[in-house]
Amino acid sequence: MQNKVKVEARNIAVSYGATQVLRDINLVVEPGEFFALLGPSGSGKSTLLRLIAGFNRAQSGQLLIGEVDVSRVPPWRRNVGMVFQNYALWPHMSVWQNVAFGLEERRLAKAVIAQKVQAALALVNLAEYANRRPSQLSGGQQQRVALARTLAIEPDVLLLDEPLSNLDAKLRVHMRDELRQLQRNLGITTIFVTHDQEEAMTTADRIAVMDQGIIQQLGTPMDLFDNPVNRFVANFVGSINLLPGTIRSADDGVVRLSSPCLGEISLPLRSQIQTERTLDIGFRPHAAQLQAPDSARVGDCVWAQGIVADFEFLGEFVRYHVRVADSRLVIDQPHRTGHALFAVDSTVAVGIPPAELRLIQG
Amino acid sequence: MSFFGSDTTMRAPLVVASAFILSCGMAFTAHAQQVVSIVTSFPKDLTGVYKKAFEAKNPGVTVEVLNKGTSAAVAFVREAPAGNKPDVFWASSPDAFEVLASEKLLQKFDGANAKVPAKIGEYPINDPDGYYYGQALAGYGLMWNTRYMKANKLPQPKEWADLVKPVYFSHVATSSPSRSGTTHLTVETILQGEGWNEGWRQVLAIGGNCAAITERSFGVPDGVNNGQFGIGIVIDFFGLSARASGFPIEFIYPSVTAIVPANIGLIADAKNPELAKKFIAFALSPEGQQLLFDAKISRLPVLPEMYEKAPAGYPNPFGGKITAKVKFDPELSRSRYYVINSLFDHTVTFRHKELVAATKAIHDASAKLASKPNAKGEALLKQAREIAYTPVLSAEKVQDKEFLKLYSASKRDAMKTKTVTALEEEWGSQARKNYERAQELAGQAAALAR
Amino acid sequence: MAAEESAGTIAATPAWSGEHSYATLAQGAVALAIGAFLTLFLIVPVGTVIYVAFADAGGGFTLAHFNSFFQLSLMQESFWNSLYVAVMSVLFASFIALPLAYFTVRFRFRGALLIQTLGVLPLIMPPFVGAVAMQLIFGRSGSVNLLLDEWFGVNLPIMEGLNGVIFVEALHYFPFILMNLVVALNNIDSAMEESAQNLGASGLRLFRRIVFPLAMPGYVAGASLVFVKVFDDLGTPLVLNVTNMLAPQAYLRITSIGLEDPIGYVISVLMIAFSLVALWASALALRGRDYATLQRGGSSLGKRILSPWQSVLAYTWIAFVLLLVLSPHIGILLLSFAKVWSFSVLPDSFTLEHYATVFRDSQQMITNTLLYCGIAALLDVILGTAIAYLILRTRLPLRNSLDFMASAALAIPGVVLAIGYLRTFRGVEIPFTSELLTSSWILLMLAYTVRRLPYALRSCVAALQQLHVSLEEAAENLGAGKMRTIRRIVVPLMAGGMLAGFVTSFMTAAVELSATIMLTTSQSNAPMSYGIYLYMQSAAGRGPGAALGVLAVLLVAVGTYLSHRILRSRATELETRM
Repeated sequence: MQNKVKVEARNIAVSYGATQVLRDINLVVEPGEFFALLGPSGSGKSTLLRLIAGFNRAQSGQLLIGEVDVSRVPPWRRNVGMVFQNYALWPHMSVWQNVAFGLEERRLAKAVIAQKVQAALALVNLAEYANRRPSQLSGGQQQRVALARTLAIEPDVLLLDEPLSNLDAKLRVHMRDELRQLQRNLGITTIFVTHDQEEAMTTADRIAVMDQGIIQQLGTPMDLFDNPVNRFVANFVGSINLLPGTIRSADDGVVRLSSPCLGEISLPLRSQIQTERTLDIGFRPHAAQLQAPDSARVGDCVWAQGIVADFEFLGEFVRYHVRVADSRLVIDQPHRTGHALFAVDSTVAVGIPPAELRLIQG
Repeated sequence: MSFFGSDTTMRAPLVVASAFILSCGMAFTAHAQQVVSIVTSFPKDLTGVYKKAFEAKNPGVTVEVLNKGTSAAVAFVREAPAGNKPDVFWASSPDAFEVLASEKLLQKFDGANAKVPAKIGEYPINDPDGYYYGQALAGYGLMWNTRYMKANKLPQPKEWADLVKPVYFSHVATSSPSRSGTTHLTVETILQGEGWNEGWRQVLAIGGNCAAITERSFGVPDGVNNGQFGIGIVIDFFGLSARASGFPIEFIYPSVTAIVPANIGLIADAKNPELAKKFIAFALSPEGQQLLFDAKISRLPVLPEMYEKAPAGYPNPFGGKITAKVKFDPELSRSRYYVINSLFDHTVTFRHKELVAATKAIHDASAKLASKPNAKGEALLKQAREIAYTPVLSAEKVQDKEFLKLYSASKRDAMKTKTVTALEEEWGSQARKNYERAQELAGQAAALAR
Repeated sequence: MAAEESAGTIAATPAWSGEHSYATLAQGAVALAIGAFLTLFLIVPVGTVIYVAFADAGGGFTLAHFNSFFQLSLMQESFWNSLYVAVMSVLFASFIALPLAYFTVRFRFRGALLIQTLGVLPLIMPPFVGAVAMQLIFGRSGSVNLLLDEWFGVNLPIMEGLNGVIFVEALHYFPFILMNLVVALNNIDSAMEESAQNLGASGLRLFRRIVFPLAMPGYVAGASLVFVKVFDDLGTPLVLNVTNMLAPQAYLRITSIGLEDPIGYVISVLMIAFSLVALWASALALRGRDYATLQRGGSSLGKRILSPWQSVLAYTWIAFVLLLVLSPHIGILLLSFAKVWSFSVLPDSFTLEHYATVFRDSQQMITNTLLYCGIAALLDVILGTAIAYLILRTRLPLRNSLDFMASAALAIPGVVLAIGYLRTFRGVEIPFTSELLTSSWILLMLAYTVRRLPYALRSCVAALQQLHVSLEEAAENLGAGKMRTIRRIVVPLMAGGMLAGFVTSFMTAAVELSATIMLTTSQSNAPMSYGIYLYMQSAAGRGPGAALGVLAVLLVAVGTYLSHRILRSRATELETRM
């Protein structure tokens, strides 16, 4: 549909007074990529987005859109479309006027504007609402108008600031899929700010996890989930059980650790690691299996004994809270009709495949 | 489309506004030549009649009247640029004309009507220096609201001295001499007629009987008209015109009064001096003088012959009936003008509350002593009167040339301000002390009557 | 290495926060233009007048006049009287405004809009006429006292001394508190109140602990305005013959014929300073306390239903207050139809003649009022919008000084500004004509503009504060530059606040008197307020003066009502379906 454009941030830093909002941000968003900025509030993700839109200016560093440094280009000359968290639809204009605005600012011929507005509204399935006022639409419809308004100008980059946060749960999932579909069809480079990890994981090609003005980790959703580089990412992307451990030795491609819960274990060495250091051994709740303590141990697992403290039935699975030594683990077991539950206070064996264990430092 | 939405609706008013500003500027220049503009303190009832008559007599001429308070009018003439000042100044207050003349803002010219006598009583009708001419005469007197008098069972007053009587306590009103030239002349007339000390005794006692000291001279007749005050000390036409307009008002001249002219003069550097002279001549001509008999105007012409055609019962100052017994000395009045004003304000206007309280105590004591005489009480009451109604400035001091210099009408430097404010402070606090002491003494006198 | 690089670039770029940093050149130009306008038409003229307070006879600088001032015990007394009157007026005005605002906002009330509209009427009463009418009703021999005397043989000194001033001022200025309070109460989210009720608060405690504190900023804004207006007010004390206050003292000294009394100007300087301090202190007290609590999707305070007993009490109270508040209007209405009204409860007989007189003589004045006040209010809204935008949406250095300068006009007495104009523009000609600026109506219009700018500015600032900045960012994002964004988004969305500012400026300018008397240069240029003053100077003119006053009130009231209607329909359009 249009030229796909790369967005690149080089050494960007922003501070308001004494507070550093962004520190040394380096980032490349590939052409056509659906990229998510994920982080809690105050992490700097919105500042970075507004920087790309041109509403903030960095104290240092460069911002390149399509290989051009836009650091000194005002917002209205960037051709970067942004959908605002509150949609920012103008209440004094009809849907049609809202969508036509950007085209009028580009001084296009009337006929061209009409045709493009029509197309943009059709794209979001709102053609018949053209004459309504924004206040007469539902939340989801308002969101689509905001999207149509932005897409109508055929921006080089599409910026979405928490676009789904004002919708109810069902609609959110629906809009998420629509958004993803639309982005695939248009192939437009899209940057998406969210604090919801599920939203980011389900839609984005790649995610930058941000905290305290720093990009903590950058990668595909699966990469972040499987190999979090630190506790923050591990906790923020999915949930995880973290058990304290100490490295005894690391050689010949094998790490040997001791842990109060798991005893002495050996794992294949995947990266440089310092010995005699305490770190966390982590695994995802769904990766472990529970068995009765006296049953035969199936599979190549690390085993530990625990006592069921509590459980919750969540439909697809049952979530057990298991006390092992001083730690309390969360373990999800798939639910099938007729399966017996482990009772509270009963003793269980917890088995974790070594491939699911992660060593998390920092 | 929404009401405010389009660009054109927001831009249009600006365009209209600038167009207005320009076009109105143009419109002014178009008819600037045949206009005579008059600054006056007179009400529209008066000026409107003259405007109509003069315009009817001189087709194509427009009379532009600017009605302002006297002080605003003087300030306006002063601030207007030379060559573009208004043409005619027309007002009652002789001091306004004095100020304008001394600042060279008036233009002498030979425009007097020869049939107008030189003096009314001792007062020259036209300015001896020729800067301005008397256009109408006004005498000072008492107006009262007949309904108010009836409701409060008050007898009709005849003389200024009547106003100090206890029966009129809180039923009288006057303006301050510093705010109203007419009031200044009334006070000055009393002072010249009765002498400095006796005069002030009367003025202060009247002040003590006043319900209010108004800021505007019109405040007095206005208050009497609507029944706020019973009796007002006013210039005659206020009373006469109110009666003519149907208000339940009576007016009399006391035997001690001053009749003085209201004046008209040509402003220096006027825009249209020739037309201005023509207007002044018209105002002084029999035709112009005749207009003063209009019921809403009710002023006394300066041309004696006019009174032959006057409405029945119209007062005639030249007929000997209203005789000014006082030999009014304008020179003396001029020399101490600001002193009288300041002294009155600082001992009466600004200390009115205390003066009224003292007066009330004195009236009470004298009423009680009248029913139960007590010699010691009488002595105390006499002392109270003496303290309350003796001026804080002595008769000798007010003749001191050096002292009077402080009040010459020029800009004040820091030293002068300091001296004058120190005097004001002294008068004000001394007056207050006197009134409080008098109240105390009168209270003791009243206690003795029990 | 990366750290080194970024350190290098930090040094190269200015260390500012960078929010909204574009188009500062155009913004700077606008700010300069407004600054120049205010300097030329406010600072310089006022300066030329009050320099007398600091000048020695030779023209040198001196503080001796201030010294002399402080030696006068009369001045100390005047100062305390002014302060007392201002404080008491605020209290009394609050006493009137609080129940009116609370009842009409908080309860389901028949005629709430009517009550709120009628409550604003006192503001559009020309002060001169108002006092005359009040004397006829509450004066020593006014209708009320005549009746009281007849029935009970008592006479209440309602209009006497300082108490009279407080009474008239409170009745005249309480709408400032009412208007601000109604807005503030309407902006309180119902959840605030509900959660307090949920936690056990009710009745007066609920009002005292939750509702009033939340409405406090609106109250303080209104109350400080009343304080300053009363402190500076000249007309009311003068008409009531109270001279021991600062404003009358200054006026009496400045306007004595032929004397340039520096003490008068010293008082002016001190009054301006004191008013500025009061405004500044109230702004300081409110800093960080402006809780705009209405959340997105939230609703304002729920309206409760009064029990029959409460209804009777509330309506009785409101009827009493409205009767009190509207008594000047009733007074001038009666006066305008009265043949003679003197020392009687009601006029003797009625006539339509005064209206005939007014229509015959004064049509030009009505047109003039519409023209001058219309243009002045329009300029106010344009200036107000521009200043509001500069202070809220830009980071121009010194932008707050524009706000300060414009607001300072509140504290400048009309006489001082008018004399300053006559002095500053002496001999200046209108471009392209030979007409002098001082003899045209343009100065009068500009005086209205400057004096009423603070009102329009407040409305515009409030309107822009409510506008979410993302609405503007969205426009910029779609390619509209700053100017286009202002024209297409900001101005249309602020229109409600701008209209409110227009109305306030217009209606208060229409009854302005002090500058009007000084600056009116010819009868053909005179506005209505001047005509009313003029008529009221003679016994026969009271009727026509009152008739013109009634017309002025009607004119402004109809204008206010219409703009309320437009505002309402617009507000409905924008908000109800949100």
